[in-house]
Formats: sequence, C-alpha cells, structure tokens
Amino acid sequence: MTAITVNGKIYEVASEARTPLLWVLRDELGLTGTKFGCGIAQCGVCTVHVDGVAVRSCQMPVGTVGQRAVTTIEGVGSTTVGARVQKAWLDLEVVQCGYCQPGQIMAAAALLAANPDPDDNAIDAAMSGNLCRCGTYVRIREGIKHAARS
Amino acid sequence: MKRKTLLTLVALVAVAGVAVLGVVGRMVLQPGPYAFAGGRPVALSAYRGPSPTGVPAELALADTVTRGAYVASMADCQACHTAPGGQPFAGGRAFVLPFGTIYTPNLTPDPETGIGNWTDAQFLNAVHRGIAPDGSRYYPAFPYPSYTLLSDEDVLAIKAHLFTLKPVKQANKPNNFGFPYNQRWLMAIWSVLFNPNERFRPVPERSPEWNRGAYLVEAAGHCGECHTPRNLMQALDQRRKFGGGVAEGWTAYNISSDTVSGVGDWSAADLAAYLSTGHARGRGVASGPMAEAVELSLSRLTKSDIGAIVTYLRSVPAVKGDLPVPAGPAPSTPQTVIDNPVGKRIFEGNCASCHAWTGAGAAREEAQLTGVRTVNDPSGANAALMILHGSGAGTPYRPAMPGFGKAYSNDEIAAVTNYVTARFGARASKLTAGDIGRLRDAN
Repeated sequence: MTAITVNGKIYEVASEARTPLLWVLRDELGLTGTKFGCGIAQCGVCTVHVDGVAVRSCQMPVGTVGQRAVTTIEGVGSTTVGARVQKAWLDLEVVQCGYCQPGQIMAAAALLAANPDPDDNAIDAAMSGNLCRCGTYVRIREGIKHAARS
Repeated sequence: MKRKTLLTLVALVAVAGVAVLGVVGRMVLQPGPYAFAGGRPVALSAYRGPSPTGVPAELALADTVTRGAYVASMADCQACHTAPGGQPFAGGRAFVLPFGTIYTPNLTPDPETGIGNWTDAQFLNAVHRGIAPDGSRYYPAFPYPSYTLLSDEDVLAIKAHLFTLKPVKQANKPNNFGFPYNQRWLMAIWSVLFNPNERFRPVPERSPEWNRGAYLVEAAGHCGECHTPRNLMQALDQRRKFGGGVAEGWTAYNISSDTVSGVGDWSAADLAAYLSTGHARGRGVASGPMAEAVELSLSRLTKSDIGAIVTYLRSVPAVKGDLPVPAGPAPSTPQTVIDNPVGKRIFEGNCASCHAWTGAGAAREEAQLTGVRTVNDPSGANAALMILHGSGAGTPYRPAMPGFGKAYSNDEIAAVTNYVTARFGARASKLTAGDIGRLRDAN
C-alpha cells in the first residue's frame, strides 16, 4: 500500500507503484474530473499539480509521488489562484465542449502561481502542451490575462 | 639516364609497397580483444577457476531448454535475426551498409528456408569461422570474429535452442552488394587476416568475475562490434577498443573508462542499472539498437552476470574522445537567447510536458535531458534519431517516448534537435534538413 495526499486528503492506494497516477485518481479514488486523452503526455488533458507544478498524470507512476501534495481539478478551486482562474473561465465563457478544460485550468493555475503577470510568450510556452480541438485557444489566453488582472 | 629513372621507379614502388605492408600489417597484427588485461591466458580446459562459459551458477541445475535459451540471450541472436514486425529468428532484417543492403537469414529449424538440416559441425563452422554449409563465406556483419570466442558447448546450446523454435518458412533475401563487394570468396582472405578462429582463453591472473565478464562482453555480447571503431579493412580497431562506433546511423558511444567521452565516471550501480533496465538516473535511456540489446539480451541476464559485465567494462583502458563534458542543470528560462523559434515552438508543444522547461524531467526521471550524453553530443545524431523514432520499451508500465518522424518535416526535426542541444547540452548541434534525411535513410 502507498499513501498519497490528494487535495489535502490522505489516501491509501492499493495499485502497484508503477501504475500511472491518472489511473489511480480516476479508477481507484473516483476523482474523474481529471481526464484521459492520449496517454503519452502529448495532449495535456490529464494535468494535475504535484507540489504546485503542472504534471501530466498519465506519465507519473504513483510510486514516485511520495510525500508531495497532489492537487486535481476537484481541489484547485480552494487555492486563490485556482479560484481566480475558474472565475475568469466562467466570466469569459472559455469552455466549448469542455473535455480539455480540466487540464487547461490546471496548467493556467500553475503558470499564474509561478508568474503572476505572464506575457503572450510565457503563456504560449506554458500552455502549448495543452491541446483543445474546439480551438478555444484565444479565449484561454484571454482567460489567463483576465485572471492575472483580477 | 634511363637506368637512373628505372632505379628511382623501382625504389618508389618498393617504398610504397613497404608502406602498404606496414599499414595492413598494423591492422592485422593488432592486440586481441582483451590483451590489455595482461597475464598469461590459458586454454579453457586448463583453467582452474569456475567456468566463465555457459550459464551462470544460479542456472547450472536448470533444464537444457532453459539453459539453451539463456545462452542464446547472452549472444543476442534474436535482435538481428528478426525483421521489424516479423517472426522471431526468421531473419529478413535489413542492414544498410556502405556497400549495399544485406538481410539476415532465417535461423528457425525450417529444413527448406531455415537451418533445419544443419549438422552440429556445420553450425559450429558458421558461428566460429563464418563459413556456410555450402562453403560460401559470410560477411562480417555477422559477428563471427566475436562469436569465434564462444565455446563449442555454448554454440551447440544455441543451436539446440533454435531447434526448439517453431519452423518458419521464409526464404532468405539476397543482398544487393555491387562489385567487388559481392565477391564472397574475398571474405576467405579477410577471415584469415581478421578472424583469429580461437576460443576464449581465460586469464588466471584476473578474478573469476572478470573472466565471466570478458566472456559475456567479448564472445557472446559482441559489444565491440558496435562500440569499437573499425579500420579501413572493416575489422575492429582493438587499439581504440570501445572508443565508439556507429550502428545503423546511431552513435554507439565510447564505453571505455575515459571519464569524459566514455563511462569512466559512471558508478558500478549506474552501469548495472543501464544494462539491465535500459536506464540509469541522470545517464539517459538506451535507445535504437542498444534498446534492443537491453530488451532481448541484457535484461534477461542474471544479476551476477550483469555484475561480471560491469567488472570487465570498468577494466577496459580509457580511449580519449572528443565529446564535451556534459553541461549541468538548466534554468527554466534560458539565460542566453536561442535564435530558433521553430525549435522552441515544437519543444513547447511536444517536449516540455515530459521533459520540463528545466530539462530535468517533469513526471519521471527517464525524461531527464540535462547531463545525458545524447543531449551533450554536438553531432546531435542520436538526439535526432530519438525524436524521429521515439525511445523506450513498448512494454506496459515502462516509459516510452513517441516518435515524431511522421509528424514533422526534416527541417522541423533539425530545428527541435538543435534547440534541445543548445538549451540543455554543452554545445549546440547544427543539423540541417539534409542531415535528418540521411539519418532517416540509415535507419
């Protein structure tokens, strides 16, 4: 058994240490807000925070999480930056189909926590690994700027 | 006057002849693969220590089938004798050489297209001497100058293993070598010069572990076939043993004990982890042909055998190379501007998710770019090949990097490789679209 901390709560995990964190979150802990997209860290939809850093949970073996705090889309609203990003997303109606948005919000919140006033270059660099097939990129960029200002 | 000219000519020819003889002589009269060890090697039968051949002690009591499979894994026959997506050991894998393309033959026991009718003597003759049952000669793409060191028992254990396989009917493909390389009989001369046709001779002055390692590395594993440079006659240049070579376009790095270009600063644990799992923390991931060697051979060896290989490798003298000392950790934003917008854009979208903006690896240690030799190689060849073809095992739970060769043009692959080496390596590569095209063709 491995113990991991997710959204401030400690969970005992029965999965093998090499199991991807994403599978544990969704299948074992029932935290299905984090989505499965490509499984090879090419789409960003499974992004969570590990000690505040945006990480693709499909690539992270649960055994390597250790003592670090995992935050998912279910918990990010309880952080100041996360709440601001979520509000900006609602204010600007960023979402279209929504499937990629948990990942987009997690990536945006990690960016703003590290860089409170990112320029377009910094936004491009941090968000390029998060795909959106509906093409909401323009609204995502606006959402990040809106959250930075609020 | 005429006589003088004639004499001068004769003298010139004589000098040229001596020079050629000298060069060829130096190639022929070179030290054996483990002559660096000194001591007085003895015949296997005269060696008093535990046998360096066969299976390790742990498997001594295993059944014949298990032992045969193990010896076949030691020699890694499967990697070359299997076509991509083809039946294991049925051959057909292409090797693109400077002389043309050669295809490996079928080793399954099919009587018609495989080796089903071969006698023990014929099999020994092929593996030790490079001679086919019909008397024709193999090209040294088949590493018989290494396999010649294998004991008769081990060669026949491999044959026994091959005969347990399901026969596959698959005709061998002819090579397309042009003249004079299509003259197989020339290989008879080559063999006289470069195949010692001698079994492994243990060195009593060295430890049993070292001798086992020497046998695994030189006879079975044939590491030098890729990692030792070749001379003009395409024989291994043992004076620069393990100084680095090329395998299917990939750079087979220097694995001598040189601390900068080689593996001299790797700990025994680093080497053992790399060989048995294909990854050592901060050292990189085995890719290309080395990934196959790990998957089909090294990962199947016992811990004691991996330990023996490490002991032997660390005893190989340093051969200096020209690779730079790897750069240290990188900041998350580059300190100097890298004028490569295309490379940067591709890195942002495709690479940073796993490798992180610091190159330290985002989700797992296998994704670390900093400090890794491939990224600190100004030729950029292996980095580009990993980007083209991907890396890592295709087995569940093991990390794997997808290949981007079908998604990006040669210009784009060159740009992102140059960006990665500039950003995280000691010196930037300067690959062009033409270079990437050649790397695609070599593989």
